[in-house]
Amino acid sequence: MRKKQSIVNYKAIVIALLLLCGSFNSAKAQETDYKAYTLFVYNFMKYVEWPEAQSKGDFILAVIGDSPINKELQALASAKKIKGRNIVLRKCNTVEDTYGCHLVFVPNSKSAMVKALKEQTKDKPVLIVGEREGLAKKGASLSFVTEEGDELKFDINKKEIEQHQLKISSQLVSLGTLIN
Amino acid sequence: MATLGEIFFCTTKFIFTLLLVIKRPLIIIVLAILVCLPWKMVSQTDSTEAKKDTIDFYDMSLEQLLKMRAHGVPNELEKLINSLISVASKKPLNTRESPSIISLITADDILKSGARDLIDVLRTIPGLDFGVDVEGAVGVGIRGNWAHEGKVLLLVDGLEMNEILFATTQFGNHYPLDLIKRIEVIRGPGSAIYGGFAEYGVINIITKQGEDLNGISTGGIYGQGQNDYLHRNAYFAIGNKVNDLEYSFMGHMGDGQRSDQDYTDFYDSTYNMARNSNTKPNYFSASLKYKGLSYRWIADYYNTSMKDGYGDVIPGLAIQETFRSTFHEVKYVISPNKKLSITPRFTFKSQTPWSSKAYTGKEAYNRTATRALGNLTASYNLNRYVNFVLGAEYYQDKAVDHVDSSYFSNDEQEVAYNNYAFFTQGLVKTRPVNFIVGARYDKHNVYGDAFVPRVGLTKKYGAFHFKALYSSSFRAPSIENVNGSSDSLGIKPELTKVAELELGYKLGRRSIISVNLFDITTTDPIVYKTDSSNADLYVNEGGSGTQGIEAEYKLRLKKVNFGVNYAFYTAANKQQISDYSVSEDTSALLAFAKHRVNFSAIWNPTEKLSVNLNASIYGSRWAYTSVDSTDTSVLEKLPSTVLLNLFINWEPVEGLNIGLGCYDILNQKFNFIQPYNGYHPPLPGPSREIVFKLQYNLHFKAKNRKVTK
Repeated sequence: MRKKQSIVNYKAIVIALLLLCGSFNSAKAQETDYKAYTLFVYNFMKYVEWPEAQSKGDFILAVIGDSPINKELQALASAKKIKGRNIVLRKCNTVEDTYGCHLVFVPNSKSAMVKALKEQTKDKPVLIVGEREGLAKKGASLSFVTEEGDELKFDINKKEIEQHQLKISSQLVSLGTLIN
Repeated sequence: MATLGEIFFCTTKFIFTLLLVIKRPLIIIVLAILVCLPWKMVSQTDSTEAKKDTIDFYDMSLEQLLKMRAHGVPNELEKLINSLISVASKKPLNTRESPSIISLITADDILKSGARDLIDVLRTIPGLDFGVDVEGAVGVGIRGNWAHEGKVLLLVDGLEMNEILFATTQFGNHYPLDLIKRIEVIRGPGSAIYGGFAEYGVINIITKQGEDLNGISTGGIYGQGQNDYLHRNAYFAIGNKVNDLEYSFMGHMGDGQRSDQDYTDFYDSTYNMARNSNTKPNYFSASLKYKGLSYRWIADYYNTSMKDGYGDVIPGLAIQETFRSTFHEVKYVISPNKKLSITPRFTFKSQTPWSSKAYTGKEAYNRTATRALGNLTASYNLNRYVNFVLGAEYYQDKAVDHVDSSYFSNDEQEVAYNNYAFFTQGLVKTRPVNFIVGARYDKHNVYGDAFVPRVGLTKKYGAFHFKALYSSSFRAPSIENVNGSSDSLGIKPELTKVAELELGYKLGRRSIISVNLFDITTTDPIVYKTDSSNADLYVNEGGSGTQGIEAEYKLRLKKVNFGVNYAFYTAANKQQISDYSVSEDTSALLAFAKHRVNFSAIWNPTEKLSVNLNASIYGSRWAYTSVDSTDTSVLEKLPSTVLLNLFINWEPVEGLNIGLGCYDILNQKFNFIQPYNGYHPPLPGPSREIVFKLQYNLHFKAKNRKVTK
């Protein structure tokens, strides 16, 4: 009987797959469009109402840590106003740095800080916006969701929003998903 | 966006990887050149696009906001890979996370390719190929396996096209290509969802419905071969959506020829196939939909002529053969709330396939089979991450023989069978991985039961994605399989286990590469034989299967689209059915090339003009081409074939497309080989063909402008 000769070398397949996997580390991941996230943040500012006492002076927009969104938010702050108020971008390294801010954006890499941020801003009129999916369930007021087909949506934790003495417009609620 | 250097590095590694796996440097070098060519264009185009970002978004309305994408306005490639498809899971998922190895072809791909029929489209998909059965019928093979009889399910808008007497599907100038919205192909098993005809794969054709048509669409094709016309078809469609009411009607008719070449049988009898190998589609469809309730009707009368019979040339005039099918479907999608949907569905189909008068060596055949099927499927989204599907299905098959003195094995002119099935599926999406678990149980009143579970893990991590899939599937014996089985041996479903692994990577925003491995093992395949009295006999015998690798690369730039794919299979480590095997090369199976490469390059010099150069490159194939002095069929290794095609499409005014092209520029006259030892020499395909296509779409109302960046 003729010996079967496979042209596939299975050891080579394993090595090849490892090499292939290795090559994935050498190229950048798909880029997130932070301009889209910034647009959402801008609309959150427009369609959420802060208490009277916090509706004067500059609108302080904070970002925890370094994030590519800083550049886009800075561009927004330079180009737009909220109800006649200037937007001021503040970069924060710690939870304490967010004191006095109206809106805090929590980038993906700082998701673990949401819990501490929630404690720090308890009962204060601060809108916490999480980049990572699921953060609305962990104490953020709003968090982003990337749906099938890459559509950018957001979850709403209305309970948290109300606890922070904020009012969210029904128009904005109709676009997001209430989690409670 | 990855830098040019990084992309080049990745590509080099990938090519080296393939080199390690397959000791065929020539093919890999060709691949390498093709894949590396467009890199410079990637860089240039992206940098140009960046400068165009000038519109102020901040004043977008809330409604427009909802159309925003997490990763920017999608380009053509991203639209493609982010397309939601439900063919593999019922729950819509994007192609990179869908729990099957998927190929997706859009209407635009079809338009620009100039494809003449479904064969031209499907042969560009890795692993899909075509062979000849008998009586001039061309069927599909997948991953080296002949799948013509009940192993690949062909769906048109969810309706099963496979005829239920032998479970075959006929290809070649058959379905209305210009009315296809998209084609989703599962290059792996689909039985856990679709049952007994989806053992090796599923081809899901989605045609344009009322909202897609939004008016009138009409057009046609004329193709001239070296010796005669090869295609002359026309179609018409009308449809629209007015509030909640959607309607459509379409018709596609024509006359084509399988070939204009000479066919010579094993005993040197010859005839010219021009005017003796007609393929005439007569396809009509109507749909009506109001909210969740829909009705669908399809009449598919496919008429052919042939003189090749079972191999020997039939003397005299060509034999007319008809494949007539009529389908009805009523479906109602009930959604009591956002989480739950319940879909009762009833379909009825009546099919009279392979119908012909008697000719030398064969009795007349005229049998009609009907299937009445009821299906109830519930889908429940527990939350965004968890979905359950549960369903039940029942069908009753009846077959009637219309030929006097012809009977089924029960000595009656009528047989009836029934089958019930239950299926379920759970999908859980978690941050590290998506899990999918499903199963289907079928119980037939004659051949018994089949249980086919499947499990899959999928996930995309930014640019990278993977799929690890393990599925059981089965082929349900068709009515004629049951009828032709031995009373003593009986017949049972053939069972298949398939393991698949896919790795994919987006190289920047405009290109993606994916590689998958597969392992198919079929036990107790249903095999056609003849008994001691030379009567037809179907038995479960032995085993079969293949292993292999498929790789695909796609690049979509603004002015250039490029795609290349490679498919390889081997049968070396699997049991083989002797009639399908190649004694000189145990890694090969009859008819199907172990190595296949397809490439397509589309250049759009303007928005209105496209030039498409594409090719299907076949490695050597094995075929029985003659008989020796003892009347034993003789194997021959046919050389590699390159089918090179060029098509130019021009849209001089909105909605009007004029196309001119040349198929098989090198005039290779591709032969369809019989994938089993059935004493049928290769059937010649068409010669070089000049193709002229026309398409006109008149919209009732302008489509909404898209939000663009």
